[in-house]
Amino acid sequence: MSVAAPPLRHRPPGFLRPSPANWRLALLLAAVLIPGSILLLPQHVAFWVSLAAAALVALTLVVNAWGRYTGGLLVAPALALLFLMNIFPLMWSFGLSFFSYRANRMAPPIFVGLQNYEWVLNDPTVWERLQTTALMAVLSVTLQMVIGFLLALLFEKQFPGRRFLMILVLTPMMLSFVAVGAFFRYYYEPTFGLLSQFVRMFTGEPFVLLQTPTGALAGVVFADAWMWSPFVMLLVLAGLVSVPKYLYEAAEIDRATWWRRFRTITFPYIKGLLLLALLFRTIEAFKLFDVVFLITNGGPGTSTETIAVYVYRLAFQYFRTSQSAALAYILLFIVIVLTNLYLYFVNRRAQEA
Amino acid sequence: MRRAERALCLAVAGLLGATVLSSGPLPASAKDIVLKMAVPDWPPTRIMQDLANERYKAKSGNNVKLEADFIPWPVYYERLAASLTSGEKKYQMAVSDSQWLGAFVEGGYYMQIDRFIKDDPEWQAIFEDLHPNVVWAYSTYPYKSDKHYGFPQMPDVLVTYYRKDVFCDPGEQQAFQAKYGKKLPCTGEEMDDADWDMIKNIGEFFKRAKGEKLAGKTLDDDFYGISYQAGKDYDFAIMQVNGFIWQHGANIWDETRIPNGQAEGVVNSPEAVKAFEHYLSLLQYMPPVVKTGTMDIFKTDELFREGKVALNVNWIGFAESSINPQTSKVADKVAFGLAPGLRGPDGKIVRWQNIGGQPFVLTTWNSEEVTKESLDFCKWWLSKETQTEFARRGGQSALKSVYSQPEYVTFRPWNRTWAASLDWQKDVWHVPDFYELLVQSQEQYVKAITGQQDAKTTMDNIAAFQQDLLTQAGLIK
Repeated sequence: MSVAAPPLRHRPPGFLRPSPANWRLALLLAAVLIPGSILLLPQHVAFWVSLAAAALVALTLVVNAWGRYTGGLLVAPALALLFLMNIFPLMWSFGLSFFSYRANRMAPPIFVGLQNYEWVLNDPTVWERLQTTALMAVLSVTLQMVIGFLLALLFEKQFPGRRFLMILVLTPMMLSFVAVGAFFRYYYEPTFGLLSQFVRMFTGEPFVLLQTPTGALAGVVFADAWMWSPFVMLLVLAGLVSVPKYLYEAAEIDRATWWRRFRTITFPYIKGLLLLALLFRTIEAFKLFDVVFLITNGGPGTSTETIAVYVYRLAFQYFRTSQSAALAYILLFIVIVLTNLYLYFVNRRAQEA
Repeated sequence: MRRAERALCLAVAGLLGATVLSSGPLPASAKDIVLKMAVPDWPPTRIMQDLANERYKAKSGNNVKLEADFIPWPVYYERLAASLTSGEKKYQMAVSDSQWLGAFVEGGYYMQIDRFIKDDPEWQAIFEDLHPNVVWAYSTYPYKSDKHYGFPQMPDVLVTYYRKDVFCDPGEQQAFQAKYGKKLPCTGEEMDDADWDMIKNIGEFFKRAKGEKLAGKTLDDDFYGISYQAGKDYDFAIMQVNGFIWQHGANIWDETRIPNGQAEGVVNSPEAVKAFEHYLSLLQYMPPVVKTGTMDIFKTDELFREGKVALNVNWIGFAESSINPQTSKVADKVAFGLAPGLRGPDGKIVRWQNIGGQPFVLTTWNSEEVTKESLDFCKWWLSKETQTEFARRGGQSALKSVYSQPEYVTFRPWNRTWAASLDWQKDVWHVPDFYELLVQSQEQYVKAITGQQDAKTTMDNIAAFQQDLLTQAGLIK
């Protein structure tokens, strides 16, 4: 006589009982199989074994969650993709930054601790490029904020052709970086270029803007500001239209000056969005690459070469793979610090208000 | 990050492969073999693909197809490097600039071919027939060593492009004679004899402002005498600067003398500084874009085809588009001469130049069978018939038996200069660290080109950097 087994679903899952929902067993199996196959089997076999083990774990997790954690299951594909395409490579390159490794050499990675970080921080070129980047970011973002703000003040008013003009103004933002770069390269070109032709009408001499470091810097900053001022404008405009009309009416009754109205009504409403614009644009400006690469190629000499261009050279031209990873993480750190600084100010102001 | 991408690619490729394989292998006596080749997208590689489609029959009886992957030039290096280093093993062959040899040989991607050449009389004959300067430049790493890797795909040299209509104009001829007391070159042979002094005179003579006359016609835009590459990107200054350095009897860091060859004292020798000063001294006669340090080979080519300059020194690779009326305003006016050189005390012109063009290589991960088929394909490519047809359609050949045929010079107007140019070609470094050397030199040259520093400082900076980097890399002891 045998004891009737209780129905499957009510039985607590035994740790070692094989069942499609036993993810613990699958995990254990994977934990043995993956390192084992990597150590013992040839590389391409180990790869497939590991992949199968990982797939098994995923499958049991799905079976286990089926009908119970629907929400989790729905998010899972997105999370898996994010992990595979973003987080895993990010962690991998972070790991790589502690090894001595060049992607175009046969030598396997050797652990060197913080040596790459030391090398990067002692490289005078890095500091030079960081200074250039900071200068460019400050100039470009300031220009964008001012122009974007003024444009927003303009478009807040109703006037004939406003919609049409707004579409035109927003166009640069939607163009690809490459198109903008190529466009400005020809715009500044001394022989055929519009700018040179225009200046020549007055001076009679072709105008070579990109000849001097200052000129080249101005050229790049202008192109970047031309492209991204509309973005600042959009954000500020959103703030401006959200200001309740009755506040202005009340201020008018009180005969408040334009400046006073701006300072006490308009500015508090758009402050948050302005800071957001500043944050976005600073981070982006810090990564400035495409426009520089296309317009000046970092020249003349190295006077407009940004840190992003240098990371690119380290990684893909010099094949100093692990050093470029270290530099990229230092940059990430800087951006995170900047972001937190902004958020801190935003929060403090929000609390004050 | 690269590893992760590789893993992902492998996973996807594996799944696809598994699906394909599960449908079962086909029983076949004549196998289908596809030779996938990474190539830059331009006429010489298009012609190669066409020729292979039309004419190539593998001797083995297998059905061998060349499948060129046409990649745009500006991203070619990145795409090839990404493919090789990711480990996807996509290509059986690849076109490679000669200076990339070291980097990708050390990575284990390019296959050494000596063991195939050594015992094969047919290969021996082909390598005997190739011009030795081309073999050194395109096949050897370290440069001029006895280790061979590549075969010529499109060999290329610098030549002088000039406008017959302005150079042969009687009025201009007369004015030039009156001003300089020598004849303005008109025929190809006369242009062959033009040294840098003559080029300087030409630059000065043909620099005209809008409204002035040129060959009897009033100019509606400024016109300039000469141009050559002086751009920051890639190797678009060094390829011309090296010519000046060698012509002046100086040298770049000499890879053939590892580990004894020094950078300090060689790269910045007084002769090298003088050579670079000579290079800089001619920039004043060029279109103003030169002052920005972005006048690369594409820009000089564009300026010439737009009819803005009288004379341009550039690669033969651009010549086809300069004689095509659809792409060139001067298509019916352009003529060609040997690239200029420095006249020695004996009156002969010293013409050392940096070689251009590209070899192609075999990759290391293929089966014996595929390697054998690849080598058979290369043999066919370097046969006299194929190379002659390649040249007939606009390519160049480094095989003596091909370019010494009398009909060779009739294929294209610039072919006249080919044989004479080959004797004067050298190449830049092939070491794995070439890109760092290249970028730093280019930065320094462009600083001088844009007037931020003088020639001496430039050469001193380059020498110091190279001494340091190459010592660290163990190439200077």
